[in-house]
Amino acid sequence: MYPKMDEKDKLEILKDILLADEHEFEEKISRRIELLEQTVHEREKLSEKVNPIISHQLDDFTKNIPETLGPTITETLKKQIKINKDEVVDALYPIMGKMVKKYVAQEMKLLSEKMNNQLSFLSFFKRKFKSGVTGQNENEIMLGDLATASIQQVLLIEKDSGILKASYSKSNAMDEEMVSGMLTAIKSFVEDAFNQRNQELESIEYELYEIHLQSFATHYIAVVISGNYMLSAKNKLQDIIFDFYNSFMAMNLDLVFETKNAQKSIVPVPKSRIERELAKYFGHAQL
Amino acid sequence: MHSSKKIVVLGHFGVGKTSLIRRFVTDTFSDNYKVTIGVHITKKLVEIAVDREVSLILWDLEGTDEIESIRDSYLLGTHGLVFVFDVSRPSTFEHLGNDLKIVRNKVPETPLMVVGNKSDLVDKAELKTVLDENELSADFLTSAKTGEFVNELFLKLATLLVGDA
Ligand SMILES: Nc1nc2c(ncn2[C@@H]2O[C@H](COP(=O)(O)OP(=O)(O)OP(=O)(O)O)[C@@H](O)[C@H]2O)c(=O)[nH]1
Ligand SMILES: [Mg+2]
Repeated sequence: MYPKMDEKDKLEILKDILLADEHEFEEKISRRIELLEQTVHEREKLSEKVNPIISHQLDDFTKNIPETLGPTITETLKKQIKINKDEVVDALYPIMGKMVKKYVAQEMKLLSEKMNNQLSFLSFFKRKFKSGVTGQNENEIMLGDLATASIQQVLLIEKDSGILKASYSKSNAMDEEMVSGMLTAIKSFVEDAFNQRNQELESIEYELYEIHLQSFATHYIAVVISGNYMLSAKNKLQDIIFDFYNSFMAMNLDLVFETKNAQKSIVPVPKSRIERELAKYFGHAQL
Repeated sequence: MHSSKKIVVLGHFGVGKTSLIRRFVTDTFSDNYKVTIGVHITKKLVEIAVDREVSLILWDLEGTDEIESIRDSYLLGTHGLVFVFDVSRPSTFEHLGNDLKIVRNKVPETPLMVVGNKSDLVDKAELKTVLDENELSADFLTSAKTGEFVNELFLKLATLLVGDA
């Protein structure tokens, strides 16, 4: 029997996930504050030449930053969250997704443990049957079953327009911009046809490939996979996608909270930078 | 500098949406009418200035007499629109004003080109009177068959889109 997870273990897992990300968030905010301080400081130097009285006031002001600026920062954050709702949801999505996924994975493990004996008997039977029909040697079929799934291509696509943001590819076989458009059209069509606003198309089988689609609020990620794409591979892939998206959104958040140029709150992250990240996350991934 | 723009081409049945795109992308024309089902996507790279390239991702929608029934999700996030009617078939422009209003409603503030196609089938002077009489105006009168004004149409739109990017 699989040992049942007690509340403490569950809490531990939750804490693990939550704290790690909280930490990152803290860092981000402190970086922002540093930036603010710097801006204030520069202004101070400037006013020294212009007006010493203002400079004095500024001095006080800088000293009192925690009290004076604290609320402003909170206010700014609140405002940004309101204005850029999608981006914030996007930023949270991978964190939430991971949380839910880990929990479900645990439950699934329990279930599959129970079913394991039955399953292995079934698959043995199926192999026997297959080899009888195709004349293939039984070991060959087993090997074929084991051919591991491998990532061929990853596309980061803007959800609404279907415009390709960035990609990673092992071989440049097809026009990625067109494929992105087509996938988006197919996705819209299927999701509309079943009239399920909250359900998203998850995968498409295309010849020898399986295309896994993972949707977030403003973008979705399509991963083209060859080989035997099993549940365990899917699990790993989702983790990689969540990790990547998390870092992608962090890149965006950096810019959302850009203080120097307040009226232009979202500056697009350069494509080359996203592609480097894509290669980093998906390039050597083992499924 | 490189950017990508989504352009949706829409209008009533058989007005020549697919033909216009084919003329623009591959510079060919066919009399053979194949109805578009769902949506067809093609891409064309255009150079609008030195060192200024745009990928136009063209969404060729199936024709419909009920503009209202066009799937909103196909229009989402589009950067530009081309509304095509057939100058030889009044039924495709009788309600142009209303059709455009519906489109505008679905996608406000997106550059839109209104195009009267199959200009090779009618007499230019006659066409002008018909349009004036009905208080209609088109940004371009094109012919996918002869190629007249097809490149101009897409280039104008591309320039417009990059200009406001
Ligand atoms: N003479 C002439 N015929 C045209 C022109 N453009 C299209 N056609 C013809 O009109 C018919 C319909 O053209 P399509 O391009 O398929 O029209 P469509 O708007 O894509 O049609 P749907 O996808 O069904 O809505 C075809 O037989 C074309 O050959 C044109 O400029 N001149
Ligand atoms: Mg067509």
